[in-house]
Amino acid sequence: MRLFKDYIARKVMVFLTVMPGLLVFLMFVGLFQKSKAILAVKSFSELFLHSSWHPFSGEFGLLPFLMGTLWVTMVAMVLAVPISLLTAIYLSEYAPKLVREFTKPIVDLLAGIPSVVYGVWGVLLIVPLIGRHVAPVFGIYSSGYCVLSGGVVLAVMIFPTIIHVSLEVFSSVEYGLRETSLSLGATKWETVKHVVLRKGLQGIIAAVVLGLSRAFGETMAVLMVVGNVPKLPKSIFDAAYPLPALLANNYGEMMSVPLYDSALMLAALILLIVVLFFNILARFFLVRAERKAE
Amino acid sequence: MKRIIAVCAVGGLVFASFSLVQAEKKQLEGSVSISGAWALYPMALKWAEEFQKANPKVKIDVQAGGAGKGIADVLAGMVDIGNVSRDVHPEEISRGALAIAVTRDGVVPMISENNPFLGELRKKGIKKEQFVAIWITGKLTTWGQVLGNNQKAAIHVYTRSDACGAADTWAGYLGKRQEDLSGVGVYGDPGLADAVKRDPLGIGYNNINFAYDAKTLKPVSGIVIVPIDLNGSGQVETAESFYATRDQITQAIVRNAYPYPPARDLYFVTKGKPAKKAVAEFIRWVLTDGQKYVPETGYIALNKEKLAQGLRKIR
Repeated sequence: MRLFKDYIARKVMVFLTVMPGLLVFLMFVGLFQKSKAILAVKSFSELFLHSSWHPFSGEFGLLPFLMGTLWVTMVAMVLAVPISLLTAIYLSEYAPKLVREFTKPIVDLLAGIPSVVYGVWGVLLIVPLIGRHVAPVFGIYSSGYCVLSGGVVLAVMIFPTIIHVSLEVFSSVEYGLRETSLSLGATKWETVKHVVLRKGLQGIIAAVVLGLSRAFGETMAVLMVVGNVPKLPKSIFDAAYPLPALLANNYGEMMSVPLYDSALMLAALILLIVVLFFNILARFFLVRAERKAE
Repeated sequence: MKRIIAVCAVGGLVFASFSLVQAEKKQLEGSVSISGAWALYPMALKWAEEFQKANPKVKIDVQAGGAGKGIADVLAGMVDIGNVSRDVHPEEISRGALAIAVTRDGVVPMISENNPFLGELRKKGIKKEQFVAIWITGKLTTWGQVLGNNQKAAIHVYTRSDACGAADTWAGYLGKRQEDLSGVGVYGDPGLADAVKRDPLGIGYNNINFAYDAKTLKPVSGIVIVPIDLNGSGQVETAESFYATRDQITQAIVRNAYPYPPARDLYFVTKGKPAKKAVAEFIRWVLTDGQKYVPETGYIALNKEKLAQGLRKIR
């Protein structure tokens, strides 16, 4: 009887472990099934290279949304990566223990704030700031609801991800190496540049990629500040319309238009594939980084 | 094992006697879940509150999230009632959506009180075809073109980002659908009002109950309702100026002075006839006794005929 219980427990645990992996697979299959309807009637170029989005007239050009996502994500990365990396370097190499212990929970807290809160903060602070003060400096009019606002809000949201993973990576670099470098007469900064960053490069790439995939899928905070205009953005002061926002905004309309839900499922499928790809990439780099550190 | 059977038996007996007692009391109980249009949200809250006072054993919970969400949720069986602030499309009806008109309101165009041309806009109003040129065709891009002078200040057009009744109704007035409205998309009624408030050159539209303050009955501070030049005379006559207070605009809708759309019916949508007793009773109450709370909440009561139609639908 005891043995039997043990056996059952083991089986249940195995099942529970396999479940999440299966779920992803099932989602993938389900989304693909749903998107088949639109893939069957519209050519690839019509879906991904056209920028006319009028579902009620049967036009499903997804290009503006793809470009909107890319623009916003890129702006966020350009802002977030240098700042997060320098923060992580400072915390791990320069900061006194007290500061480090004090900062870590604050950074983690940033990760825990609900995205709607970021969105509201963006609308109340970032949008007017960019619309009234930043854009006029460049002599451009912008309502403030634009790619840049989305990028700024996103950047703040992915700080914790990048900082956290980078810190882990830096702490896995052996102390002996640092001491060797310093005893050879290298300055602190040279040590960081040539030893810590060199050793941790793979891990840093992984951190950046993880941040990237987080940024790519973020929905609520971004849709509140980017303006949601389905046109190709021409500058960072133009409004854009990212993919996740498309899903969130129109999930109600898809009941009433033929092929609409299929188009949205296709958008969801694209998101899933991209995020999966990024995550696998990050995992790959992290594994390599761990091997290197050993 | 024996013990389990015993417990089950006792439990069953207790439960049976309990339900007998309940049956004797004849009190309505159950739960009603509602989600959907922002436009109907304050009214649904009020109704839920009053109905729960009369029937303490019924639990009603109301969420807002746009008409699109309401209809999607109700058709997916997530909620009992979807609040929908636009006409229900034939495709939705074919999926089993049953729309019951419960009250009326309207959508009004609005600008910021800091608009530099405020005085002139109030005198002249904006014609329907000008709205079309602003939101749909994009032919009008400066305030000067609207007012017929050579002012170069650009019009900053705002619209709603979420699938919602206000946008669909406003687009309906301009002969189009929500997806045809150009402009920067902002989430939710409160968000759109705020964006227009802070942009002196902005123009947007909003539900009456978000454009007017529920306490003062005047337009929300910082917002001015733009008069629509209904007869195209280029002047706002006395018969066309009814935007000063919420009461004036609702009365204008009652006497059909304000066109339809942007005035509109608001619907409760169920999937087929409501099977749950609590849901059916709640809707019946809304169409009868519940109507007395309509004016004080800032909506416009339906005529007897439409109410009777609704009652026939759920019978």
